[in-house]
Amino acid sequence: MRQVVTFAMLSWAASAMAAEPPATHRNFVACPIVRDTSTVPCWLAEYEGETYFLTIQTDVSAPVNPPWLGHKVLVEGTVSDEPRICGGIVLKPVALSVMQELDGSCNTMLPAEERYNLPFEPPRPPGPSKGRLAFGDPVTKPKSQEVAASKSFELRYEFDSLVMFRHAQPLQQIFEHARQSKATKVQITGYRAATLLSNGQLMQEDKEIGRRRAEQVADLLRGAGLTELRYDVKWQDETKRAKGVEDAARRRVQVVVSR
Amino acid sequence: MLKNIVKFMVGCGAGFLASAALADQPAPGHVPRQKQQAQQAPVIDARSPPANRWWTPGEGTPLPPVIAYPNSFGQVGVLNDAGVIDTQDHPFFEPIGENGRACVSCHQPANAMSLSVEMIRQRWHETQGKDPIFAPIDGMNCPDLPPGDPKSHSLLLERGLFRIFLPWPPKAADGSSIDPEFTIEVVRDPTGCNLHPQYGLKSANPMVSVYRRPRVAANTKYFTHQGFGVFSFIGKNGLPATRDPETGLPSGMNILSDARQPTLKTQAVEAAVTHLQFNGKLDEERLTKIVSFESQVYTAQVSHTGAGSLMESDTPPGFGVLNLAKGREGLLGNNVTNFVFPMSEAWRNPAPSPDPEITRRNEMRASIARGHDVFMFRTFWIKDAMHLNTVGLGNPTKRTCSTCHGMHMMGMDIVNGWMDLGTTNLPWAREEPLNPWNERKPQMPLFKITCKANVPPHPFLGRVFYTQDPGRGLISGKCNDVGAIVMQQFRGLAARAPYFSNGSAGSLRELVDFYDRRFNIGYTDREREDLINFLSAL
Repeated sequence: MRQVVTFAMLSWAASAMAAEPPATHRNFVACPIVRDTSTVPCWLAEYEGETYFLTIQTDVSAPVNPPWLGHKVLVEGTVSDEPRICGGIVLKPVALSVMQELDGSCNTMLPAEERYNLPFEPPRPPGPSKGRLAFGDPVTKPKSQEVAASKSFELRYEFDSLVMFRHAQPLQQIFEHARQSKATKVQITGYRAATLLSNGQLMQEDKEIGRRRAEQVADLLRGAGLTELRYDVKWQDETKRAKGVEDAARRRVQVVVSR
Repeated sequence: MLKNIVKFMVGCGAGFLASAALADQPAPGHVPRQKQQAQQAPVIDARSPPANRWWTPGEGTPLPPVIAYPNSFGQVGVLNDAGVIDTQDHPFFEPIGENGRACVSCHQPANAMSLSVEMIRQRWHETQGKDPIFAPIDGMNCPDLPPGDPKSHSLLLERGLFRIFLPWPPKAADGSSIDPEFTIEVVRDPTGCNLHPQYGLKSANPMVSVYRRPRVAANTKYFTHQGFGVFSFIGKNGLPATRDPETGLPSGMNILSDARQPTLKTQAVEAAVTHLQFNGKLDEERLTKIVSFESQVYTAQVSHTGAGSLMESDTPPGFGVLNLAKGREGLLGNNVTNFVFPMSEAWRNPAPSPDPEITRRNEMRASIARGHDVFMFRTFWIKDAMHLNTVGLGNPTKRTCSTCHGMHMMGMDIVNGWMDLGTTNLPWAREEPLNPWNERKPQMPLFKITCKANVPPHPFLGRVFYTQDPGRGLISGKCNDVGAIVMQQFRGLAARAPYFSNGSAGSLRELVDFYDRRFNIGYTDREREDLINFLSAL
């Protein structure tokens, strides 16, 4: 464990100092904090003496999912002009990446306080929902329509991560499209990226992550039954493109399915 | 005309060749390594005399459309949607392997098509340990222990556990080896099987032995559904779902506690080899009969000691075997439109009655209704549960029992249902307290798991941790699957204690208490009692 942490620290330290991101952006690594409310909990993080609101508790189908206590979180967000929620400045849009190593110091749970009740009704209560899922089905089959001969898909990733629960939907869409379009080939490009933190430090992903992402997606499509396709698998390093704005969008795999 | 005949003959020839080639291929679900061990294990002289509530393999008694058996909370019922089942020569009821067992041996109607530890003990006394359920292959702690000695069968007699032996490293469906993300070391081997030179991890046919409860072989339409959340990729981790080898359709992966078999049919193929020591290839006719039987049989509590009959027209829609048989599968119930187990207002707020007996009955019904509400609406913090907190809900998440147990009418997970609640992973798994005043020794094996350096550590347990049963991890080889177990259905609970895959909860009270401790819920006495009453009526 210690070795891994040391490695991560060295990796950060070795990274080049770059220009700071725009003042409206907050990119930082911190312990997440969960605050209870009379409905769903809200998730916060502190950076340079200020508290930021990340998200409320959601479900599997939400575009932004809460972080985890027991782990630090990489926050990449834009300061919005919305009123504070749960006492925190609202970051919107925001991308959250759970750091993989365990961190026992990230354990802050705050009780509900009247002044921090949510100023809106959350999409789903803490218990059963009013319908199926609050934000949409986790995986949906594409509607039958004219199937394009070639179509591009994009999978986005948390920092240093491979496929996880939220990729089931785009993978299913790729799978369905390949079947419906009678595709013969698929081109998969995995990207390694970096994020420019608000303190000016460049935080780079694992050197092999672009290759691993691309190869994993190919393996998964084959594993799901797309064994007849011709696979063109490659990877690319985009760490130099980090500028503190939309860096999260560069952690991706692009998949082009064609006949 | 002649051309057509030639074409037909060529076609037939090709068919015969194809058939011959297929005959050499292992049947889907077949497990050659386990078969090797099953055929090595001794078979002892077994006998299974008829007894009250016990279905003896091959007894040939017709199974009626509805049959009820008593238990401490009332009666459990078994409903055959196809009408009377002729069990004579029926492969579910006939001994088809070497050891005298049939499927029914461990899926007894009186135990909600599972097997209670109380029934196992009764059977031990009735047969002096000669019933085929005590067969050395898996009814013993390890196959070469002395037969007839209760100590050789302690896990079965004390916790209702059968030995499940799985190859290490794991094998994919095509028989190839999976490179696991973790190493496994045996640090405690009370049964002697994991370090055994013939049956263990270091044997010529490396095998891990874990010990699990038989699951309910009924209500199968619900947990083999093709509805909500069943897709080609698993909604919890994005990896490919297992597929039905015949149709190619993804499976819900909810049949076995580690999701290792995709269909009822492949499960039957494996069970015949491993549990029945069948040395051959089950023919299509027998497999079809087994699957047909399992697809039409339903079980649930049909009467409750306090609440009365659960077979009446005014029984809440979520209760009783009749309602269960006509329910809709593939529905998410963790909402206020479907509900997991729909309740009725008549039970929640019964009309006052001058009859004290009806008043007592109504009080129990109201308690069951409150227990339902505890299950559906009582929030608590769910923390560090792999495949729950990691699937977009955050860690911790303030939710309810029905968050995980969301399958309409079943209480299983509606999607691919493995999760780590801590029933087998330390620090939460039940362990024997070690101290100078306790003479009991730990019963369960203990494995040290080390996640390899090239994969992330387990999100909540780190890189090195300990488990009594690696669960799904023994199949997928994934570090974060270690200790993740496919949750079981809630039906007929009153008839089939103990609970959890490793039988670590001896009663419904112990089951509820496990969750109370694990998630620091803080149930009040009334909440606990209501919840137990609710569970006992399912």
